[in-house]
Amino acid sequence: MGSHDLISIVPFIIIAFTAVLVMLMTALEQGRAGTFIITACGYGFSLVSICLIVPKVQPAQQIVPLLIIDGYSLFFIGLIIAASLALAALSYDYLKMHTARFGEYYVLFLTATLGAMVLAASSHFASFFLGLEILSLSLYVLVAYLYTTPRHLEAGIKYLVLSSVSTAFLLLGMALIYDRSGTMEFSGLIMRMPGLAPDLALAAGTVMVVAGIGFKLALVPFHMWAPDVYEGAPVPVAAFIATASKGAVFTVLTKFFTGGVIAEGGPLFIMFSVIAAATMFMGNFLALFQNNVKRLLAYSSIAQFGYLLVAFLSVRGMHITPVAFYLAAYFVMTIGAFGIVTLMADRDSDGDHLYAYAGLFFARPYLTAAFALMLLALAGMPLTMGLIGKLYIFAAGVASGLWFLVIVLAINSVIGLFYYIRVISIMFIRPEAGEIKLSGQRPSRTGCFLIAVLTIILVWLGIYPAPLVSIIQKLMGP
Amino acid sequence: MADLIWLIPAFPAIGFLINGLLGIRFPKTLTAWVACLSVIASFAVSATIFVQFLQMAPESRVFEKTVFDWIVSGDFKTTIGFRIDALSIIMCLIVSGVGSLIHIYSVGYMHDDPGFRRYFCYLNLFVFMMLTLVTGDNVLLMFVGWEGVGLCSYLLIGFWYEKDSAANAGKKAFIVNRIGDFGFLLGLFTLVGYLGSQGIWTLKFSELQANVHLIGPGLATIITLLFFVGATGKSAQIPLYVWLPDAMEGPTPVSSLIHAATMVTAGVYMIARLNFLYVLAPTTLLVVTIVGLATAFFAATIGTAQYDIKRVLAYSTVSQLGYMFVGVGAGAYAAGIFHLMTHAFFKGLLFLAAGSVMHAMSGELDMRKMGGLRKKTPVTYWTTFIACLAIAGVPGFSGFFSKDEILWMAFSKYDSIWFWFIGVITAGMTAFYMFRMFFSTFHGECRADEEIKHHIHESPRIMTVPLMILAVLSLIGGYVGVPALLGGSNHIEKWLEPVFGHHAAPATAHAGGFNIISTAFASSGGAEGAGHAIEMQLMIGAVIIGLLGIFIAWLFYVKNPNLPKKFVEKFHGLFTLVHNKYFIDELYGFIFVRGLFKLGRFCKDFFDEMIIDGIVNGIASLLAGVGGIIRKVQTGMVQGYAFAVILGAIVVIGYLISRIL
Repeated sequence: MGSHDLISIVPFIIIAFTAVLVMLMTALEQGRAGTFIITACGYGFSLVSICLIVPKVQPAQQIVPLLIIDGYSLFFIGLIIAASLALAALSYDYLKMHTARFGEYYVLFLTATLGAMVLAASSHFASFFLGLEILSLSLYVLVAYLYTTPRHLEAGIKYLVLSSVSTAFLLLGMALIYDRSGTMEFSGLIMRMPGLAPDLALAAGTVMVVAGIGFKLALVPFHMWAPDVYEGAPVPVAAFIATASKGAVFTVLTKFFTGGVIAEGGPLFIMFSVIAAATMFMGNFLALFQNNVKRLLAYSSIAQFGYLLVAFLSVRGMHITPVAFYLAAYFVMTIGAFGIVTLMADRDSDGDHLYAYAGLFFARPYLTAAFALMLLALAGMPLTMGLIGKLYIFAAGVASGLWFLVIVLAINSVIGLFYYIRVISIMFIRPEAGEIKLSGQRPSRTGCFLIAVLTIILVWLGIYPAPLVSIIQKLMGP
Repeated sequence: MADLIWLIPAFPAIGFLINGLLGIRFPKTLTAWVACLSVIASFAVSATIFVQFLQMAPESRVFEKTVFDWIVSGDFKTTIGFRIDALSIIMCLIVSGVGSLIHIYSVGYMHDDPGFRRYFCYLNLFVFMMLTLVTGDNVLLMFVGWEGVGLCSYLLIGFWYEKDSAANAGKKAFIVNRIGDFGFLLGLFTLVGYLGSQGIWTLKFSELQANVHLIGPGLATIITLLFFVGATGKSAQIPLYVWLPDAMEGPTPVSSLIHAATMVTAGVYMIARLNFLYVLAPTTLLVVTIVGLATAFFAATIGTAQYDIKRVLAYSTVSQLGYMFVGVGAGAYAAGIFHLMTHAFFKGLLFLAAGSVMHAMSGELDMRKMGGLRKKTPVTYWTTFIACLAIAGVPGFSGFFSKDEILWMAFSKYDSIWFWFIGVITAGMTAFYMFRMFFSTFHGECRADEEIKHHIHESPRIMTVPLMILAVLSLIGGYVGVPALLGGSNHIEKWLEPVFGHHAAPATAHAGGFNIISTAFASSGGAEGAGHAIEMQLMIGAVIIGLLGIFIAWLFYVKNPNLPKKFVEKFHGLFTLVHNKYFIDELYGFIFVRGLFKLGRFCKDFFDEMIIDGIVNGIASLLAGVGGIIRKVQTGMVQGYAFAVILGAIVVIGYLISRIL
């Protein structure tokens, strides 16, 4: 491991170092603001360092067999850090409302980010598993961070138990695959797997790895934990699970299963197609009459990953733009939506009851407009990143001839429209007595600023997606 | 300058954003300034480009600017880009120029309306969309503008949405336009799909034009007809004209800007823009001409029997739009655009004047309750007079030159005296109903209530100055297109030549088809001379019929005010028929609306209640059944979730194994 390798993993080092620093500060009982500022600086420096090392790692930099730093991983690492930064900022006012203990939260937030980053850069089963565990262990605690409330605690325990089951699957799957192929490196696997004679052990191993990954991504039928955990977790943590965590795992899925492992029309392909269709339908159907906004967003995020699977299945020769673009759009939309729920939260409720939003427009028109935009984007409406992202998926699906999935996607876009618009229409209902009851106090300035930035990004890149597309294509080829 | 053409649509968009997003606490004056200045700024940019064009060689008068790639998908790429050439600069000048005047006028007209800010937001948005429509360099961007102006039209027709009639009129306009837009879209898809199958994935006008030779005549006819369906919706032609008269429910300046001067001419612009396609389809051009002519005639007859001052103007607009389509249908695109321009001046003016009359009459619209306004509203009177002379085609006024050009082109292209004849009869009726409106509004005794009579007053300066400017334009606007016959050099046709080419040259060899009168005039000899002679005869004929129309109006409404009543009594049936617009609305209502409602009810009863509800209820009870089991798991039984994971994995493994073994 030379100095060049070290430079390539500077973003990781910065995050890890910040985590230690925040831990020390907590031990020394430093103030809340200080903790947050150090965390934010850590994320900021890490982002800057990514921009600096991009030119140095073209085309790819393999760091021992475990990590690979290339355009692909750097893009998603950047996305994960940016999302974490936004969510860390959102957490600040949310935490202030609920607890005095800040330090531990940010330490865990940083380690969770680190885990996600390792996932995005992993090129080996070992680093994949390490990353996943760093991420998950941090999340167990974060979900139950406000442990004085039974709701939070329950969610944390549920997540812990179920996640452990899925991890067991994953480990056994890895072992079985290793047994058959004799390698744990992704590149080696991608080369050898298509040539291996199919047998029970290999099939079981593959399915178990898929189940492990599918659990983290909340794909049907491994999705049932998601709404419960989202509902119980603090809002920013739910958003983190929906974005950074899922996104990081998805990069592994894409890395592992593209490049010839999934032969079109083969059993794996059909398995993923069925999972994608089921995920879309289940996510959208379950969201239809949901009166809890956090659960609704959980189901919506399940459905969104069904859409992403369509893009994933149409990846040919690493033509990754649709996946990358949609994931970026999904990050913006989901963080935006959860961000607004965070701003609506108060001491007693998490801003998750749908009817707490009734008539919101007449009290907070700008916030409502932003929320409406985020939801419309999730539904794929024009002038937002959501449409461009969906267009890319459609185009990729049609180009690869995945007609079944494209039709399912189209049907689901319509179903999805219903519950997104239902939320919007509730926000625009004029309240009866003329008086508007609002949960939550005045939204924090940081939060509003963040939402404004996200809204601008959402619309700007929705009208003019070229900058993001060119970044993606520069980093990962066309 | 070429790099700055995107500023033309950008300014109104900025105005819209400022007023829309930040304007909640703006005082009215600031809102008004922002709205007006943003449109005036567009006009300034357009004017600057126009002056630059004047200094350039005709062939090089094109500015194109691609702002960014919009949708890139494989081979297909479309951009956000703008194109300013001789055609679009005229449209820009009309839209931003007349738009500025109407914005200023609106400041006075809407001053006491509680929706002041909302009004100006919509109006700015409209100008933005309209300018996008005329400056977009590809069909898709044009369609964005096309839909955008439709949306703004809907919003502004229903501006006073508390009134049922306004809300319904807005809906009607929107729905009828959707039918047209459907045709437009089908045309667009056919065009792109076919060219794409030939390996040319483009929507840009310049590239379409370069590859138009790939399209055979049959396909060109289909595509152009589909686009024309779009035009009949937006530009209120038969059979989709029914929304425009109802659109008068909106504020009057809106009628002036959107439903007279600009938006409704979008169809004419679109055909002129796609002239390279339409040239390939003579059948379509004939259809366009016939539809235009029929609409012109039909709407004019209705216009003669309306009492509502704005409805007269609305039918007149439908009728004049028909003329424009006759022009473009005859391949005389320049003549169509010329009439579009003069019409924007005089019809914009007429609507603003009508607004001024309403202002004076406390909102009264019925001409039977007006009269004698001449003395009390002198500016409105004189400006209306000029506009009426212009639309009636009295020599020397703008409408004379442009209308005559169209009639002559239609005659010479199709060599049919009937086309000319119907056009001229329509012109005569136009003169009649315009002066009928004019005389019964401004002359004679005032028939209003005492109280209203008491309040009659001239509008404030902010409203009369735009009237005067438009009156001047209505007076002199025609002199850019004086035909060679009258010693002019038809500047506007020369100006547009780089866009339309020479294919609109008047046929001079048709003298034979019109012998009877021409022999008397054909003394100068030669084909050119004969052509001119016929043109002169036709022109004189048109002028005489126009003056006759004015004379009859004078006879009916000034000289002998009892005559109309007798006339109505004698031809009661005919009058009722025409006054009720030939019951077309009722016919459409019976066939389409009722039919669709019946279909809808059938769908509701059969599909919705039986099939859909059955499925939904079935699913609901199914879910309720399954839900009982799930709910047990959801109450904290984590094992259930884990079981689902394991079960799922086992099923998938089982599947894989069954495939392998």
